[in-house]
Amino acid sequence: MAFTIGAGILNLLIALGLSPLYEGIVRKMVRARIHSRQGPPIRQPYYDLLKLLGKEDMQVSPGRLLSVAPQAAFAAVLLAALLVPMGLGHAPLAPYGDVIVLIYVMTLAAVSVVIAGAGSESPYASIGAGREVMLLLVVEPTVAIALLIGVVQTHSLHFSSIAEWQLAHGLTAPTLFAAVALFLALQVQAGKLPFDIAEAEQELMGGPFIEMSGPKLALFKWMFWAKQVVFASILTAVFLPWPHITPALFGGGDVAAVVAGALAVVVNLVKILVVVVLIGLVDVVVPRLRIDQALNYFLALMFVALVGLALAFVS
Amino acid sequence: MTSQELIDRIKREFGEQVLEAREPAPKAVYFTIRPEAVVRIADYVSNEMDGRFLITAGTDERPLPEGGFRVSHIFSFDKDQLYCTLQARVDGDKPAIDSITPKVRGAYWAERELYDAVGVESRNHPDPRRLILADDWPRDVFPLRKDVPFDLHPDPDPEARPQMAEPPEGATVFPIGPFFPVLEEPAYFRVFVEGETVVGCDYRGFYNHRGIEKMGDSALTYNQVPFIAERICGICGFIHSTCYCQAIEQATEIEVPIRARYIRSIMLELERIHSHILWLGIAGHIIGFDTVLMQSWRIREPVMWLCEKISGNRKTYGMNLVGGVRRDIRKEDYDEILRVVGKVGQELGEVIDAIGGDTPLMMRLKGVGHIPVQDAREICVTGPTARGSDRWIDARTDHPYAAYDEIGVEIKVHSECDVLARTLVRLEETLEAVREIQKAIPEMPDGPIMAEVHEIPAGREGVSVVEAPRGEAIHYVLTGDDNHVYRWRVRAPTYPNLQSVPVMIQGEQIADVPICIGSLDPCFSCTERMEVVDAKTEEVKVYSQQELTELSRSKRR
Repeated sequence: MAFTIGAGILNLLIALGLSPLYEGIVRKMVRARIHSRQGPPIRQPYYDLLKLLGKEDMQVSPGRLLSVAPQAAFAAVLLAALLVPMGLGHAPLAPYGDVIVLIYVMTLAAVSVVIAGAGSESPYASIGAGREVMLLLVVEPTVAIALLIGVVQTHSLHFSSIAEWQLAHGLTAPTLFAAVALFLALQVQAGKLPFDIAEAEQELMGGPFIEMSGPKLALFKWMFWAKQVVFASILTAVFLPWPHITPALFGGGDVAAVVAGALAVVVNLVKILVVVVLIGLVDVVVPRLRIDQALNYFLALMFVALVGLALAFVS
Repeated sequence: MTSQELIDRIKREFGEQVLEAREPAPKAVYFTIRPEAVVRIADYVSNEMDGRFLITAGTDERPLPEGGFRVSHIFSFDKDQLYCTLQARVDGDKPAIDSITPKVRGAYWAERELYDAVGVESRNHPDPRRLILADDWPRDVFPLRKDVPFDLHPDPDPEARPQMAEPPEGATVFPIGPFFPVLEEPAYFRVFVEGETVVGCDYRGFYNHRGIEKMGDSALTYNQVPFIAERICGICGFIHSTCYCQAIEQATEIEVPIRARYIRSIMLELERIHSHILWLGIAGHIIGFDTVLMQSWRIREPVMWLCEKISGNRKTYGMNLVGGVRRDIRKEDYDEILRVVGKVGQELGEVIDAIGGDTPLMMRLKGVGHIPVQDAREICVTGPTARGSDRWIDARTDHPYAAYDEIGVEIKVHSECDVLARTLVRLEETLEAVREIQKAIPEMPDGPIMAEVHEIPAGREGVSVVEAPRGEAIHYVLTGDDNHVYRWRVRAPTYPNLQSVPVMIQGEQIADVPICIGSLDPCFSCTERMEVVDAKTEEVKVYSQQELTELSRSKRR
């Protein structure tokens, strides 16, 4: 119980408190640098959130769906943050939720975006919602298949067992397939180019988010940043859990356990940063794809993931 | 074909339908024809002789001795470097002339504007809706008639309604505009979609018509007009002032000194460079590729500084006057000009290489926004839009002006007809502009930059074409008394190009519509000739359409 609470607080701190920092680093160090720009300060995303949270909430379309959607999406990502290990080996809610729960919770976050679009009367929002559904239908199965690869290899639905199995068996081919599929799907999950097709500022003026303003917009932005970190952590802590930091490295004992735990969390944070920077890098060097091109791309990726799954069954 | 052969051929073919043939300036032929024959002759000129329709100018000549209204359909024979103008005179309370649009598709907007502006109706026009005037402008006030003062504020027509087309059965409306963030200027494309696929489109623009033509032929003198003309467009303003001055110079046979012609060419090419690079950035932004935007605008910025150094202004140089230019290019600036454009050329070369190897970018540009060669010919699109569709037209070689004959121009043409082709045409043209400047600077002769201009006689006509970055700008002038131009007709390059949008986006995805429209490098302000009104209020108030209209009117008065 103590672990659940402690790790829970840690994970929420990372997902909520540090995710804007990651975004700020990407904007300043990656985006602005490639643009030959000075860029905003690294703490800018925090300012953005503060400003938006204090602003007036403008809503034109009637109905409660628009208010519920950002809250549902935000809550779903917070819950997901508690279902994923972030360096400590176990997820905070490990005894209560597993891979299957995570898949449901993450889908809820994506569906909330669709609800936000469907709740608005703007034609841009409904087209954006339609595109989000199409993306959802190809990306969520890809993620699920990637996670299933881990499950099939280890015969366990728990992230901690999957991570332990990886540490024991080294990098296998199916794991590699899963990691690639997860990484590429992450681009969509984080709402980054070339797959920000549902928002498509230049075509749909924000799509589902066209009527989001003030606190609602802040929640959605925060949700995307947190989601990016949570998903990156599945990749770094579950499928690529190296280097393995054990208390034994520090001579054993209680102090060593604390040191090892702290170091593992820090190492995981650095690994997340690498993933986030890579995502940010892809984001600046490609144009947006059309929805049909994106669907084809993900159908191909789904096939790759299925090959990985077949390999996992065979081995 | 020489101008004499053209005159002979038209006279032989149509006999007494042709009342008069004139060639007041070399290579500019004017036919006065009977109004009944206008469709037959226009059909012959356009479809038999492959003349390219440029624009229609309507002139209210009731105060003049001839009386009535003069309708001038201006055509161009590009290979022969000839202008051919068909003029017919119509009269009466409700003047009307047969529409040539069924035979000459390019006249589609020009004839609608003819009615809006001077009230000459085009009989049998397939789509006689209002084009340039506001929806609630009164039905019986035609602003370019001479009895309408330039500062008239008529009461709005209370029964006016927007006349937009309704979507076909089963399709829904996807509105792009009237203010769409990517286009950044007012234009309303009412796109009809089935799912994500475009099945049709209707266009309404000209939301903020500024009435610059009216101002030019009523309130301004000959040498004031170039400064207003330059403000028609915020990017390629210099082409408009050049074009206007050239039209006057042609009408009155003013010989512009060679150094002034070189300076015009150099400024025009500098404008082409910064305009094309600006476009490249915007095109990148439209498809979500902001790195292209940031990098290309970084490359462009030194050109703006250079223009500021030469003219005192980043844009809107204010250098043109009838008869030459007001400001010389200093010899000590030559090196810097060569250095800046050389650097731009080199950096742009790197960008072109990078673009060629970018697969996702190619996926968005290739095969998108197809304008078939036949449609490009019939709609009479111009500039890179035409040259991307295998049309070998470029005013710099078709109607040589400024110093282009001396410098020499290589036309860049691609035949793929898609967005990629238009992109490549623009990029190659930018490099070509760099080469032209590098050639022009060392060989620019010394000498005066201004011809001596005496009084400008009345009743002379001139037509001039300038190759703007977006296509051809056309100015037609009829000189008048008292140091005033009697009629000044402007056609901006985006005017014909925008008419190709329905062809281009038919069957495309919604996602491709912005880049398709963007690939024209549309300059709505050129066609709009608009006015920006900035209204600031402290209180939050929701305005009705009526109140907004009144507010905008009260601000303008």
